[in-house]
Amino acid sequence: MWWQRKEENSREEEMTVKIRFFAQFRELLGSDIITEVPAGTMFTLLITSVVKKNPQGYAAIFDETGAFHEFVILMKNGKRIDIADADRTVIVDGDEVAVFPPVAGG
Amino acid sequence: MFSERELERYKRQMMLFGEEGQERLNKAHIFIAGAGGLGSPVSIYLAVAGVGTITIIDMDVVDGTNLNRQILHYDRDIGRKKTASAEEKLQEFNPDIIINAIDVKIDASNAKKLVGNADGIVDAMDNYPTRYLLNDVAMVKQIPFFHGGIRGFYGQATTIIPGSTPCLKCIFPKAPPGEEFPVVGVTAGIIGTIQSNEVIKYLTGSGDLLTNRLFIWDGMQAHAEEICIERNPSCEACGGRGKKKIAGKKK
Repeated sequence: MWWQRKEENSREEEMTVKIRFFAQFRELLGSDIITEVPAGTMFTLLITSVVKKNPQGYAAIFDETGAFHEFVILMKNGKRIDIADADRTVIVDGDEVAVFPPVAGG
Repeated sequence: MFSERELERYKRQMMLFGEEGQERLNKAHIFIAGAGGLGSPVSIYLAVAGVGTITIIDMDVVDGTNLNRQILHYDRDIGRKKTASAEEKLQEFNPDIIINAIDVKIDASNAKKLVGNADGIVDAMDNYPTRYLLNDVAMVKQIPFFHGGIRGFYGQATTIIPGSTPCLKCIFPKAPPGEEFPVVGVTAGIIGTIQSNEVIKYLTGSGDLLTNRLFIWDGMQAHAEEICIERNPSCEACGGRGKKKIAGKKK
């Protein structure tokens, strides 16, 4: 609705992003997650904030130091993000990010 | 020239790509790495399509836990070498083609020699270290690598053409840890038939290949989608150029 849209626009400190998990990450965490995070949130923090309440999902994506497992694939708006850069990759309103593992069975 | 029997057998697909396309299939040699979940549908469909020479590699014995998905192997084959079972079934599916079933573990010392003069490699493996070896061989020999992977109700596939598409290491630079993965047979069927479809299109020059795209199948949602994939300019396997010398001893 137009009045809701206006209200959303006025909340400049929050932004809406979409997180897509695939394969076993999806099994543990769901498929498309729309979430609101403070403006200026970095990629790693965005994912951490969404998965931290799910210990199994967290352990599948992050190691014990809180870093992404080295095999995890990260994308932002269809472009690959290096794990090494995820801590300093800023998410902006409307971004769509994807997090997935290599599927290994055969 | 095809026999009357072969012309009859291939009639319905020659309506699609002609006798010329069938000749191309007949002259082709495809290397299938694995006679398991993916290797079963891949080899069956390539055999019935009339791919002239199929080399299929596996080192395992048929186990009861394989039978929910590895449709090349029957209950009576439990305890038998997968290669023996595969050779028998594939030859029965199509007596007019050559089946080389080799009981060996693919490793750095033999991968290149095993692939030999094959026109393409189908990835029907269950682990990334061996996939990376085959990816390297595909780069060296400049032949396509038809990747597939499955887990549970999920699967992925892409077609790698050395020199023009990302290689497997560009897409997945690091192997996930090994595991005893859950899987339903239909996931292997879906991804394996996509791989076979790619091989048939590649050999007959039909359609558009699944290149520069990772096909992702979600059987739980009955939803397929694709992710655009790009070459990694600093890829350790292809350097973003799709060419590399394979690691290993020189004779």
